[in-house]
Amino acid sequence: MTAGGPARAAAARLGALAARLGLHVGGRMGVRPGERRFPGRPQPSGLEVESHSAYVPGDDLRHLDWNLLGRLDALLMRRFTAEREVVVHVLLDASASMATPGDDGKWTAASELALALGAIAIASRHAARLVVLRGDTEPRATTVHRRRAGLVAMADLLDATPPGDALDLGRALGEYAHRHPEGGAALVISDFLVEPARLEPGVAALRRRGYAVYLLQMLGRADAEPGRALASGVLHDVESGDTHPVALTPDVLARYAALLAAHQGELCALATRQRATWTSSVSDTPVPAVVTGELARIGLVRGR
Amino acid sequence: MLELANPLGLLALASVGVLIALTLLARRTRITPVASLLLWKRIQVPPVERQRFRPDLLFVLRLLLLLALAGGYVRPYVAGTAGGAAGGLAVVLDVSASMQVREAEGRRFDTARRRLDALVSALPADSPVLLVAAGYRPRVALRWTTDRTRLAERLAALDPLDTPTALAPAVRLALGEAARRPGARVAVLTDLPPAAGGLAPAELAAADWTAIGRRGDNVALTALTVDAPPFAEPADVRAEVVVRNFATVPRAVTLEASLDDVPWIRHALALPARGSRRVALGPPPRTGLLHVRLGGDDALAVDDQAVAWIPSQPPLDVLAVTESDAFAAAIRALVATAPRGHLEVVNQAGLSERAGVTAVAGVVTVFDRMAPPGGDGAGGLLYVAPPPGNTVCPSARVLDDASVVDWDAGHPLLVGLNGLEAVEAARAVQLALPPWGVPVATAASRRAAYPFLVVGEARGRRRACLAAELPPGPVTSDAMPLALLTLATLRWLAEPIADEPITLPTGVPRRVPGTVGAGEPGVLAVGDPAVVLAERAGVHRVGRAGEPTRLVLASLLDETESDVGRDGAGTWPASAAPARHDAAHGQSELSWWFYAAAAALLALEWLVWSVAG
Repeated sequence: MTAGGPARAAAARLGALAARLGLHVGGRMGVRPGERRFPGRPQPSGLEVESHSAYVPGDDLRHLDWNLLGRLDALLMRRFTAEREVVVHVLLDASASMATPGDDGKWTAASELALALGAIAIASRHAARLVVLRGDTEPRATTVHRRRAGLVAMADLLDATPPGDALDLGRALGEYAHRHPEGGAALVISDFLVEPARLEPGVAALRRRGYAVYLLQMLGRADAEPGRALASGVLHDVESGDTHPVALTPDVLARYAALLAAHQGELCALATRQRATWTSSVSDTPVPAVVTGELARIGLVRGR
Repeated sequence: MLELANPLGLLALASVGVLIALTLLARRTRITPVASLLLWKRIQVPPVERQRFRPDLLFVLRLLLLLALAGGYVRPYVAGTAGGAAGGLAVVLDVSASMQVREAEGRRFDTARRRLDALVSALPADSPVLLVAAGYRPRVALRWTTDRTRLAERLAALDPLDTPTALAPAVRLALGEAARRPGARVAVLTDLPPAAGGLAPAELAAADWTAIGRRGDNVALTALTVDAPPFAEPADVRAEVVVRNFATVPRAVTLEASLDDVPWIRHALALPARGSRRVALGPPPRTGLLHVRLGGDDALAVDDQAVAWIPSQPPLDVLAVTESDAFAAAIRALVATAPRGHLEVVNQAGLSERAGVTAVAGVVTVFDRMAPPGGDGAGGLLYVAPPPGNTVCPSARVLDDASVVDWDAGHPLLVGLNGLEAVEAARAVQLALPPWGVPVATAASRRAAYPFLVVGEARGRRRACLAAELPPGPVTSDAMPLALLTLATLRWLAEPIADEPITLPTGVPRRVPGTVGAGEPGVLAVGDPAVVLAERAGVHRVGRAGEPTRLVLASLLDETESDVGRDGAGTWPASAAPARHDAAHGQSELSWWFYAAAAALLALEWLVWSVAG
């Protein structure tokens, strides 16, 4: 039995947040009943009548519309709106960049956001699974959980998987879409400090499999405002190993800010093209504030 | 004006260049991990901008720290205006007896004074001068002053003393004073060569030394002793004088001696070169002031005469008060040893019958194991083994086997008395110290240490408390030391107080019992018990108003001082630069402020580094 790590401690604090919020995601419907309504796909049984169809021998006569039989003298079967669960796949980038700089809290914030989304999904009677993407190994994932106890398994997975190594996020997303064609909702949490052109094929692959894709960027303070956290000298990319000398002059910092804004604009445009949803936050913002603020703004979560 | 005590310390500023180089090197090699270079690689830093040095907060703090340390290292100070301009001259002027020697150009002291005038004249008008007189002790004759008139007056008032010299303390005093003033020099004017000054080479190197004088044809009285056994006949008194020729050629001199200005002896003496003669003056015909002088002309006059006192030796007249026949026998045996002793023995009842009779001067009353308070009168009082509980000679208990373990060798009572360590007593009382007395001898038994003999003066009478019981019967060899001590005590008690002259060499302090009042010029007398010091040879008087005065007989009896011959005059300039003192008079030292600022900057730098680290 493993001792509780920081993810477990974070999971213990998410109960109240998950109880008052609901996750509203798109994506292909699952096979199990759930709370998500899927109009346009009438089912033989259900709660809400959506349409009627002609009787075919073998239909369940319990759903025969007797009123219409009496009025129209026609055998018509009630068809109901499908209500199915959505399997929420929380895909967390666990590459080395998520833990750099070490005191930025980026990995901690991303982990806590992943747990929060998993907790809200389960509380919304969706199924959820956590997938940790690392570059050196196959993605590590939990099983699909529908109960609150599954949160513990997600927390244990996070505590057991420290970030590291280089990750080709676009490729990892494409491979995941290939292995899990059942669709659902894909909540991708990463710093997205990658070329948008290399990311887009992975997002497209998920979309083709019927995933509703949500790109949730988590930046560290050193990523957003390097002047406050970095010093002049030689910068070292922790994933590629490349170095680049830089002097943090005001001009340089201004140029970096402009490049960051442009990069985020490209990611937003990518999301628009792929009919995904994009949002960005910084790691020193408390996760509950991110959930009730930015995620609520994009409609991913709503109050109950 | 701000000045630097250590200008070479400015080389420490080179550390700033080292700091810049280290900072640049650290920046070039400082590797900072980032999540991605995706955006940074799109920022190309021009080569010029890449090499430009841009200081951050840590660099600025470290730079200020280095500057503060360098600032403290160069020891800046603000030269004060108090006390006049920097520089000056500290002069040590020898005022010992040898400076009275008459050379061809005049007295050595006058030559030194002229040399001093020349030195002072060469100084800038605002340069201060300190004058130290070096006699038997150093004395600051004039503190730092630029007032040349005052200096001239003080110089004119100075005259050499009749005392030996102690030059080293005076030179050290001057060196210390000069070190407190940047650029001040020290000049020594004496008749001694530097090697004879008793100073360390470093001290000699810091002073300009001027030796004056050459003449060495001096004949001096180097010793005058008077041996007067207690209670002896005047014919048993012996006086002896030593005459020494310090010249390198034989000399013939005339020795004359007088008693109370009455000529007594005249001898012609032939002295070999650098030789001496011991002359016995024979039994003096009377008591009084003995004045010995040498005729003829020589280099130094003050050591050509000496004075001493031929004491009167009254017979020993003792009144013993005792109830014990054994004690009466013991005191009778003791008095019998004195050539002219007289003893009367009474018991306490007999003493009471004599209560109305005024005590006779010169009669010593001895009380055996009793201590009645002595009334006013003349004559000494001796309390032998006073009983416990008395108020005159307080005592505690009777002890066995007491031995003397310590004594005051300088007390007049013990002069000429040897063998005190052999003084023992089979029985003695444990004395306490009365308010009027001082311990002359201390004894120890198995139980305690305590005064054995206490003496003093009260209400015009000398008193003594003797702890030991006198052994009965004739004086044996074992009891001889105690008998001698008792006789010496009786002699001291028999001496009249007021008329006893004080004989001492010049420049040597001597403690005398009681107080003596103020001295006349040439004699210093202070304290109780008094300390007397003669600066002038000859006959002096000390005393209080309304009280009989006492004679002070002072002589220069110092072979070193009388050996006035020198190898020749010379000048030895100082070979070392004047020492600078950190806390110089009139300077405000600033270096410690810089060090305090450096400490504060160090703490701040550490704080910033730990936050940024």
